[in-house]
Amino acid sequence: MADIQHYSHDAGWKHTILRGLLYLVLILFAAYYLFPLFVMISTSLKSLDEIREGSLISLPRVITFDAWTYAWNEACVGVECSGIKIYFWNSVKMAVPAVLISTFLGAINGYALTKWRFKGANIVFALLLFGCFIPFQVVLLPMSQVLGSLGLASSTTGLVLVHVVYGLCFTTLFFRNYYVSIPDELVKAATIDGAGFFTIFWRIILPISTPIIVVSVIWQFTQIWNDFLFGASFASGDNAPMTVALNNIVNTTTGVKQYNVDMATALLTGLPTLLVYVLAGKYFVRGLTAGSVKG
Amino acid sequence: MASLTLDKVRKAFGPVEVLKEINIAIEDGEFLVLVGPSGCGKSTLLNLIAGLEGSSDGEIRIGDRVINDVHPKDRNIAMVFQSYALYPNMTVRKNITFGLEIRGVSAAERDKAVADVAKLLQIEALLDRKPSQLSGGQRQRVAMGRALVRDPDIFLFDEPLSNLDAKLRVDMRTEIKKLHQRLGATIVYVTHDQIEAMTLASRIAVMKDGILQQFDTPQNIYERPNNIFVAGFIGSPSMNFINATLINDNGNLAVSIKRDNDPIILPLKDAPESYQGYVGKDVVFGIRPEGLTHKRTGSDQPGSQYFNFDCKVEVIEPTGADTMTVVEIGGKEIVARVRPDRAPQPGEIMTFSADMSQISLFDPVTELRI
Repeated sequence: MADIQHYSHDAGWKHTILRGLLYLVLILFAAYYLFPLFVMISTSLKSLDEIREGSLISLPRVITFDAWTYAWNEACVGVECSGIKIYFWNSVKMAVPAVLISTFLGAINGYALTKWRFKGANIVFALLLFGCFIPFQVVLLPMSQVLGSLGLASSTTGLVLVHVVYGLCFTTLFFRNYYVSIPDELVKAATIDGAGFFTIFWRIILPISTPIIVVSVIWQFTQIWNDFLFGASFASGDNAPMTVALNNIVNTTTGVKQYNVDMATALLTGLPTLLVYVLAGKYFVRGLTAGSVKG
Repeated sequence: MASLTLDKVRKAFGPVEVLKEINIAIEDGEFLVLVGPSGCGKSTLLNLIAGLEGSSDGEIRIGDRVINDVHPKDRNIAMVFQSYALYPNMTVRKNITFGLEIRGVSAAERDKAVADVAKLLQIEALLDRKPSQLSGGQRQRVAMGRALVRDPDIFLFDEPLSNLDAKLRVDMRTEIKKLHQRLGATIVYVTHDQIEAMTLASRIAVMKDGILQQFDTPQNIYERPNNIFVAGFIGSPSMNFINATLINDNGNLAVSIKRDNDPIILPLKDAPESYQGYVGKDVVFGIRPEGLTHKRTGSDQPGSQYFNFDCKVEVIEPTGADTMTVVEIGGKEIVARVRPDRAPQPGEIMTFSADMSQISLFDPVTELRI
């Protein structure tokens, strides 16, 4: 009896130490990732004078949002000094249609590849899958030629097209894998009920695709919003997306480097993706694991 | 309601022939059960009738109409699936009326139709629920409701009961039978469960490896199976097969089963003409467990021909109603069905009666009925 008590006491003590170690490691990792964010936020809230005087990690003495409003309304991108806002809207005009179109096409592709299997469906899918592994740089030149011949060079529409084409592989993969787990009998039943390809898609398949739509939207939005290379290559000047403008603001400032403005601009650029994750993050995880467990 | 005819229907996936010349014809109002082990092609055959897959050859007719090239929605059929295939995003009401809606039936008519079907299946209380809020049995009813509401020529059932627990399965089986009797509908029903086949069917088509083994009434299939496969597949516990020789015993044909000490000789009265060619040759002697019982006399049951023999009991398996008694004859385990109060102990020597009026003889090479 005494032995058992001794043993369990010992185990409890060990358990506490291991737990403590675990938390310590986790906190260190969290701090490692959060520290840059902290520096960015605190710097963006300081005045330029304070940045020059204080240290990198010190908290702002006086909190000011001047850098944020300046970044939004007045920061100079190249020679144009009207802030980041027009580029923000450029990114919105690029990302929203591109995300919606690529998600929608991915859904149709996935549906056709799983529920209306045709000869060579596997080859088509394999080729689409292959598209996921093509590096951005490889397609730059051919893509610019295509855009040029379509008359879409340096336009937001052109960027939308590029992102739709590039995102299609990923969205098709998502939807295809999701629809594989949906029983074929559902489509058979609807066929006998008299529904055709698109009726089944709209009335039955799409309404049960919420989790994977969320995954696709988050993934595509993050990819497209954060993209720099396509934006820098295929859209210039007033049509550039926010990421390109951010780069220009940070790199082209002459005279005094306005760290607080740079930080605020960077945060503004990152905010939309952050927001999407916060709002839909739990669906993201749920959607990624969907189909792996029956239920 | 309509008759259904399958005329030399074939189906091949590439070089693999999954259905070989299926000929089946049923009348209006019949209950056809397609039964066989998995992979026998029964579900493929059902899909051909539904039009979900195209046949490679042959003709399928509903009534007088050839439907080979008719789209599933225009065949006037309804189907109940194994997984029920209820639309998860729609309420029960929507599920049932979806087909009507697609076909442009007015809302008022749809409401009336769904009310009728819900009453028939007693699912009125469930109409506004989603499929995820239903139990297995309730889903099953909704799936049937979706088929019933369309009032089709032919109902197709694809293993509809196999996802239910044992008790519910038996209940639903009875209900499907009742429904069939009430509606007088033509039904094609796929199952791998021979008991379902026997209890439900007006005619059974037993299939194996894409070949129709036998197409007949349940009783005929039970009593006069075409071959060893059908004999073994239908009936539980399955028929006993004993290697034997057909002999001429003083002018009477008899089955002789070799044993270490002395052979068992079981005379055949009123032997059919077809047996004559097998005199002196090996045959497979098939007898159902209920044909092998504790010692009985002919007066127990008129028309039976009982012959007795002694045998050592190996194992007994009581089921309550009967005690399955396993003996070894000719190197094979044989099951006899014995009344519990006459049940022996393992190791005992017991006298068994073989009812020779209900036996089958098979050719050991072709496995066909003699």
